[in-house]
Amino acid sequence: MESHMRRREFIQGGAGLVVGGALLGTGCGVGEKKASKAAVTKVVPAKIDGDLLIFNWTEYMNPGLIKSFAKHYGVKVRQANFDSMPSMMAKLRSGNEYDLIFPTADYVNRLVKANMLLQLDRDKLSNAGSIYSFFDDPWYDGGSAHTVPYAMYTTGIAWRDDRVEGITGSWNDLTNESAKGKIFMLDDFQEAIGQANLLNGFDLNATDPASLEKTKATLEHQKTFLRGYSTNAAPNMLSGDAWIHHAWNGDLVNVRNQAKKNPEVFKFETCKEGIPVGSDCMAIPSNAKHPGTALLFIDWMLDPEHASKNITWFGYPMPITGSEEAFAKLAKNDPAIEVSTEDLANGSQFKELAPDERKAWDRVWTEVKA
Amino acid sequence: VTGAFWRRFLVPGALWLVLFFAVPFGITIAISLGSPTELGGVLYGFEPANYADALDPLFAPVLLRSVTYAAATAAICLLVGYPVAYCIARYGGRYKNALIAAVLLPFLTNYLVRTYAWVALLADEGLVNRLAGERIGFLNTPWAVIGGLVYGYLGYMILPIYAALERMDPALIEAGKDLYGSPRQTFWHVTWPQTLPGVLAGIVLVFLPAVGDFISAQLLGGPDTYMIGNLIQQQFYGADNWPFGSALTVVLMAFLMVFMVFYLRGSEARREALG
Repeated sequence: MESHMRRREFIQGGAGLVVGGALLGTGCGVGEKKASKAAVTKVVPAKIDGDLLIFNWTEYMNPGLIKSFAKHYGVKVRQANFDSMPSMMAKLRSGNEYDLIFPTADYVNRLVKANMLLQLDRDKLSNAGSIYSFFDDPWYDGGSAHTVPYAMYTTGIAWRDDRVEGITGSWNDLTNESAKGKIFMLDDFQEAIGQANLLNGFDLNATDPASLEKTKATLEHQKTFLRGYSTNAAPNMLSGDAWIHHAWNGDLVNVRNQAKKNPEVFKFETCKEGIPVGSDCMAIPSNAKHPGTALLFIDWMLDPEHASKNITWFGYPMPITGSEEAFAKLAKNDPAIEVSTEDLANGSQFKELAPDERKAWDRVWTEVKA
Repeated sequence: VTGAFWRRFLVPGALWLVLFFAVPFGITIAISLGSPTELGGVLYGFEPANYADALDPLFAPVLLRSVTYAAATAAICLLVGYPVAYCIARYGGRYKNALIAAVLLPFLTNYLVRTYAWVALLADEGLVNRLAGERIGFLNTPWAVIGGLVYGYLGYMILPIYAALERMDPALIEAGKDLYGSPRQTFWHVTWPQTLPGVLAGIVLVFLPAVGDFISAQLLGGPDTYMIGNLIQQQFYGADNWPFGSALTVVLMAFLMVFMVFYLRGSEARREALG
């Protein structure tokens, strides 16, 4: 298996194997257990209060930084992995206790509403000043009371310059004739419906029936050009199966790091109809056993030097002053993989959908795939 | 020794069934009657609408596709597995156990990991295509999905057939030959009927998990290989709709139960016929 399997790339299907176990283990615990307000606002000093249990995407943090943290503070650090936000939520809902989690922005919104995140006092973080001020009051977490931003990402199209002709900088490149049958779409219903919404000139998060009807037609047309749906962009591109791949910006860094020859033939573009951008966070669940150690670890990651090491390793920009150079090196030849706070401000972000809106999107996805 | 003594040995098996089947299935039914919350959790209640949704004709082609793939898988497994079981049972000699162990060996590795290996092997610039010297467009087709299923479940076909062949008295074959049966006639009139229970058990053991499989279609499949397992998985880990996913699961199980009933009644009838 490739050594650099990244967030969401690791098969979401693997999670399915856990469904049975989760059902069993939780008994009837899949129902809602909202934490109390008091559990959320307790004051936690940033000092070691035990070993650390991190819950993160696979291969989404430089393991060297974990090792150096453990050594510096003399604690043990363990890491558990999830492969999708719903699977992370399922584990949290069933009462598992993690000290530090990495939710995406739209899920932060939900976690805050459910009182599942501890309030973070930024004054206790010595490196808090390095966080971009853009994140002082983000849409998903008023006043940044519960979260510290981790990484920024964007969705676009990766392609092989030595195989494909006529790339136009549009989502229409997913129906490029010269690559017909060698095109993959992300196997992620949000990303798939999102790009089709943008291509039709709708809002990224459009859920009204008229828009979704058109978006469904777009997806059905795109399907005739596809070889498959997959989130394994890097292996698909490296194995020659994909010439064009709907992908995240970090995927390209990943592909190039692994390409044995001619890494420069792999290119990435963001599309003119609109660019889905996103960010994720570090946060401490309200039932964390060792929130003090977790705070120290967050502070550790905010150190510009540590952030730089992390960026070089995982390929995504972090909103931390002093870490820009590390990402600039990665993006030297590919400005398209850059994500700035302006992109976050101007680009489209996936919003949290209400259950019936989610259902409408899922319906479109099923109709396209069935 | 009384019957009561022997009945005690039923306890572990029964406990196992209750703990790992009855209880989870009860939870699944309870969830299937709930509704999803904003957090992606489950609000328990009585919401039969999930079942009305699950019976939507939209899913008919997905179910039909799953059944077709699973039937093809069972058929290929039988064609491949029977000769293998036959050779091991009849000609394995003192290597029998080693050969059966070899059949089981791949199961020590996770099915998911083994399927990933196929993705790498069959890729356009992968080992198989390089050895073939030309691009065989195998990956991301229905055939790749069925191939993955055959690979994943072949063992479940070989073992019961092997067991049936082992149980069979070899003298019966001798008797068939003594009565001037050609090898082919002896096989069809003696060996095949004797091993039919094993064959049917193998078909059930392969068919049932293959219908609900989602890994093969997700990793080896193309745009038109969506199976019922993928649909259910999407409800759990994409759409955050556990109640609907559970309702689909229950409907699928009810559907598969029909196959089981036919199988059980068939084997019961055979047992009675054999006296």
